[in-house]
Amino acid sequence: MSVGNSAGFDRHITIFSPEGRLYQVEYAFNACKQAGLTSVAVRGKDSAVVVIQKKVPDKLLDPSTVTNLFYITANIGCVMTGMSADSRYQVKRARSEAAFWKYRYGHEIPVDVLCRRIADISQVYTQSAGMRPLGCIMTLIGYDDKMGPMVFKTDPAGYFCGFRAVACGAKHLEGGNFLEKCFKKKKDYTFNETIELAIHCLSCILSADLRANELEVGIVTQENPKFRTLTEAEIDNHLASLAERD
Amino acid sequence: MSSIGTGYDLSASQFSPDGRVFQVEYAQKAVENSGTVVAIRGKDGIVFGVEKLVMSKLYEKGSNKRIFHIDRHIGMAVAGLLADARQIADIAREEAANYRSDFGGPIPSAVLADRVSMYMHAYTLYSFVRPFGCSVVLSSYDEDGPHMHVIEPSGVAYGYYGCAIGKGKQAAKTEIEKIKMKEMSMHELVNEVARIVYTIHDEVKDKAFELELSWVGKGTEGLHQFIPAEVQEEAEKLAKKSLEDSDSDEDM
Repeated sequence: MSVGNSAGFDRHITIFSPEGRLYQVEYAFNACKQAGLTSVAVRGKDSAVVVIQKKVPDKLLDPSTVTNLFYITANIGCVMTGMSADSRYQVKRARSEAAFWKYRYGHEIPVDVLCRRIADISQVYTQSAGMRPLGCIMTLIGYDDKMGPMVFKTDPAGYFCGFRAVACGAKHLEGGNFLEKCFKKKKDYTFNETIELAIHCLSCILSADLRANELEVGIVTQENPKFRTLTEAEIDNHLASLAERD
Repeated sequence: MSSIGTGYDLSASQFSPDGRVFQVEYAQKAVENSGTVVAIRGKDGIVFGVEKLVMSKLYEKGSNKRIFHIDRHIGMAVAGLLADARQIADIAREEAANYRSDFGGPIPSAVLADRVSMYMHAYTLYSFVRPFGCSVVLSSYDEDGPHMHVIEPSGVAYGYYGCAIGKGKQAAKTEIEKIKMKEMSMHELVNEVARIVYTIHDEVKDKAFELELSWVGKGTEGLHQFIPAEVQEEAEKLAKKSLEDSDSDEDM
């Protein structure tokens, strides 16, 4: 591999290094892991679920203001993994894009179209010198009346893809392996099985028994396609049935 | 862990290899060099206490205030670069005025916190501007009770029951965690806040300071006001007394 000549800026702004890498984009991926949180999203037969840890680091914090789950429209929700402020910015942009689509075309934006739009915006940041990529990963879930439940993820590089299941954040590799093993054995999950798989995955890769107040769960289902977050009591029920299964 | 970002800290549009934005972290350091702000949310109100360090003997009392009124019902206390903070206050006032004009009523502090945090975050994205070197605390009281939000230079905003930002924040946080704020009335909070500021003030490093106090809550009917002179005097007297008491305890 020849060592090309670079002016030394390839690590500082989003230009190519001699080996053809974008260092700033790679560093942005590291930023997504900085917060130390991991999220898991699973698509079942007729439902889609996102789960993320809830860490309230300061006793004086008001826990009701700490969240990583956001709704984009009534029917589309997302989990944001990575830098807090960048996440809120991207959520705001997504809400704005979804609202504009509704205004322009008269119907709700589909999940994959929204994801593509956010990914295209993220790509612009990887090609501008004056801006940095956002240090956050957005995993969108929604229930489409033609396509069924959908899970889409977009990252700082501007890449996006639909998934059957995906893990993002600090422990995404372990999460990915775990989910691959589960999906090899079984491909169709009912609503309860989907939630339990997501929670089980998270507790295994974190090697910890998670409690209801350390988790946030967001769901969309065929019966109720509106994005909603589960209450602590509902999460407790799922944890209980998970414990019984084991 | 070294937090020197040599080479990756030149602008807010650069990530370091481990994914940090050093310009934002340096802005947070600017906040830590300033006088402490202590804010506590009680049962039916919020009290701000600001340790305003006085640099000169010629200083005129009451100038360079670090607590601002945003509209009539929201208070903002700042730590960090005062010039940057004045910009934030202006933006907050503009947002509040626009909200009134658009929606016909006072802006909820959660909405204002959201807008101010997005504004501060925008300055952490581009290379041609620098992040704001200040943290702000917003407080208000409405039918849902008291609300308090802290916004850092990175644009991250959370709601709090008690917070301290600035030089003495660690010591202040320890003191705040000891008190049962959720049951305290506004008057009790005033005395506690004054006591905490006096306790954490470092007599050796920083000589003189002026204590700025303000409150908003049921007692002020939701209006943000500076604390009346008699209440402030009383609180400072009690604070100085408790400091002497604890000093004499140490001597024993």
